[in-house]
Amino acid sequence: MEKQKQYRIGTSEQQAYLDDYNFAPRGYGFLEPGVVSTDSNEFVAFNVAKSFYQVYPEVFNLAYVEKVTGIKQADVKKRLLKMYREHEMMLVFNPAVSIMGFGLYYWIVKLKKGATKEQRESLTKWFQDNDQICTGYMMEEGGDFDYFNGNHMRNLDNLIAGVLDKFKNQDFIEYVHLCPIRRCVRESHVNQFDSKKDYRRYLWDEEQMRNVLKFQKKMDKDDFAIIDALNNTKSIGDMFDFDVLAKLSGLDAKEMKDNLCRLVDKDHSTIPMIYFNYMALGLKLHFFAVTLFQNTPTFRSEQILDELCEEEAFSNIFDIGDAHHNYVLTAYEDITDLDRLRKKILGYGEVTEVLEATSPRQFRRWTCRLDAQNGYWEECVFTDDVLLDRTTEKEGK
Amino acid sequence: MKVQKARSYVVNNLRYALNPSSIAVVGASRYPTKVGNKVIYELVKWGYRGKIYPVNPRADEILGFKSYRTLREIKDPVDLVFVAVPAHLVSSIVEDAVAIKAKMMVIATSAFKEIGRGQLQNEITEYCRKNKLPLIGPNLVGMGSPYERFNCGFIPYLPIEGPVAMISQSGANLLAALGTSQESHFGMSFFVGLGNKADVDFCEFIEYANEDPHTKCLAIYIEGLDSPEAFVSSCKKVQKPIVVIKVGRSKIGVKAAFAHTASENPNSDEYYDKVIADAGAIRVTTWQEFLDVSLALGLQPPLRGDNIVMITNGGGAGLLSCDHFERLGLPLHELKEISPMLEQRIRAYMPMFGSPLNPVDISGTASVIQYKGAFQQALRDPNVHGVLGAICPTAVTDVLGTAKAAVEVYESCKDLGKPFVMICQGGAECHEAILFLRDHGIPAYATAEQAVNAMVALYRYGTKK
Repeated sequence: MEKQKQYRIGTSEQQAYLDDYNFAPRGYGFLEPGVVSTDSNEFVAFNVAKSFYQVYPEVFNLAYVEKVTGIKQADVKKRLLKMYREHEMMLVFNPAVSIMGFGLYYWIVKLKKGATKEQRESLTKWFQDNDQICTGYMMEEGGDFDYFNGNHMRNLDNLIAGVLDKFKNQDFIEYVHLCPIRRCVRESHVNQFDSKKDYRRYLWDEEQMRNVLKFQKKMDKDDFAIIDALNNTKSIGDMFDFDVLAKLSGLDAKEMKDNLCRLVDKDHSTIPMIYFNYMALGLKLHFFAVTLFQNTPTFRSEQILDELCEEEAFSNIFDIGDAHHNYVLTAYEDITDLDRLRKKILGYGEVTEVLEATSPRQFRRWTCRLDAQNGYWEECVFTDDVLLDRTTEKEGK
Repeated sequence: MKVQKARSYVVNNLRYALNPSSIAVVGASRYPTKVGNKVIYELVKWGYRGKIYPVNPRADEILGFKSYRTLREIKDPVDLVFVAVPAHLVSSIVEDAVAIKAKMMVIATSAFKEIGRGQLQNEITEYCRKNKLPLIGPNLVGMGSPYERFNCGFIPYLPIEGPVAMISQSGANLLAALGTSQESHFGMSFFVGLGNKADVDFCEFIEYANEDPHTKCLAIYIEGLDSPEAFVSSCKKVQKPIVVIKVGRSKIGVKAAFAHTASENPNSDEYYDKVIADAGAIRVTTWQEFLDVSLALGLQPPLRGDNIVMITNGGGAGLLSCDHFERLGLPLHELKEISPMLEQRIRAYMPMFGSPLNPVDISGTASVIQYKGAFQQALRDPNVHGVLGAICPTAVTDVLGTAKAAVEVYESCKDLGKPFVMICQGGAECHEAILFLRDHGIPAYATAEQAVNAMVALYRYGTKK
């Protein structure tokens, strides 16, 4: 039996656990050669699909979906249109923050006891309308915290001045805990770049799936199967019908496919995926913000998280560094045995605290707005603080 | 792409680009920071009177207008399709535009030939030509007309009404002109950015401008001429002055022109000199000259001879003008050579220390009455072909009063068909006078050289045919 590594500094095992990952857990804001911009020619296949799937669902590989699920192509097309129009799904992409040159920063906000409804609403509106928030969740009252919001930034001062300072010192705020993401492990059920294994795998817990079909009637098992098939193609080359993309765009099918396959399958620099909009089904997300004892070695922290990743009921998994908290994990209320998950987390002796809260509302999904109620469904706003100095934007200046 | 000559179906349909009764904006956005939102916002802001159809597959409503997922969902006739989406979406949109029988297509989108997607641009162009759907662009900023209250594009200004049709390959320079129009009272009949001019070419807008009743002068900014023969042929048909600025003279400018609007300049600059001369157009070198000369040619009749009389209250402005006239090959003649009688008559409007040479210096103490008399005498003299007036703001000069007097004289002598140009060099009161004069049809400038450039252009136009 192989002796368990201790990763002691000064030995050949020093930080060797970092080699276990495609992108090693590490600092923030790394820009690596080979990264392309979102409007580059290499990424055009996704952009074509993203622009047309609302009307032409045949941009997806319907033949593949039929082969995998047995659902006829015509029905797949109809269902995709229905799911889009009912805002149950959206085509999105995730960039690999480990190499894009910016950090991914979340922050947990806790309001003071006695904060008024108006104060809460004003903060919610501010978050919703602020294009610098690329993802954000509002929690129900009564939880351990009230917001979990995120943004990508190249410059921490910009984040502090442009986002955090705006409200941090208001009287009704108890605290703001910055949560720099060390590893983006799973988002919206899809294993991300920093997952130790099963890159791009789309996961649902079996029990959850059974329960969600009972919980609501908007989406049936075939709808879920279609999303599953598209998100779980072995190669990104099977997700789209590149001939359709070529016909719509006038661009070369093979070139588009080769480029996208390189970016996604080989470089692991971006993941196109179908986002399942749980809010459309009336689901709420339950958050676990997990804190380890500060003397827990980093390798152990990573090991624990990797073990938690085996749990398919977690739809989002973030590994956090240099912060009050170490992980943020989510699972749906109503269709998940949250007690089981809680016990599993608390079963680790390294865990010192777990904060919990429930979110009925996600503001954005990366750069795409989700607030159909405000007329902004799928409005994409990409913000980037490169070359900007937001410290000069302080109110009152 | 090359055209042999201006195509009549294109020229006829250009009215839908500048005065459409309905417009579909593909790529209309709900977000005020995005181009697709600005297009509709500016249409509404400047008072567009036709129907607006936003197209966006994600939105139900944009700026209060019902939004359509595709062009094909619009059941009413669409005159103009304005496209503000990324290049990779355009092929499909062009097919939809043909399907709904749109009359005109404008593609604002960049990232075509100028970044190496020449084949895509050509395929789209050929498809449009096959279906007789004129295409303006791609890679442009927009177009409009103040007479129609029509501002279509991502353009924050609508110029004031006026005589100049501005046809520009450069969006930035067009914006610069539009931006100063309201401040400097540079009036336009219509404006258009041609961008890569994949389909609709200069020649077609030139012929359209010839028929446009509001256009008195064509101002054309060129980065590359794909169809020089068609350009020359169309210019020759035009009965209005044409001013051309052709850039890309420098070695690196040739490359920059390609990177900007995919303009190819395989020939030497002398070649373009000849093409522009053959076309009967006036070539200018600097942007300021382009604006100054266009304004003068748009407002004033041509100068039919070289008997120009300059009347000034400042010797300095006179000297600057004399030298610049001579530099440009049109030296001033002494007044006694032009009209000995005028030299005698004009003395009545100056003090004894004034100079009736030419420039006629009526001195720094000149009053409004003196100015008015001198202007009248000069314009009415049959030997005089044109008058250049100059106001220098001394402590006793009534600048605005003099400008008003100039307008009165100009109005009373309009039938004589002689150009009248003014210089007002000084501070705020002179700027006010310039605007006043321009509002009343007199091209006025802040420097002597600008005014001389204008007068020389009027002469070149007046003596070319």
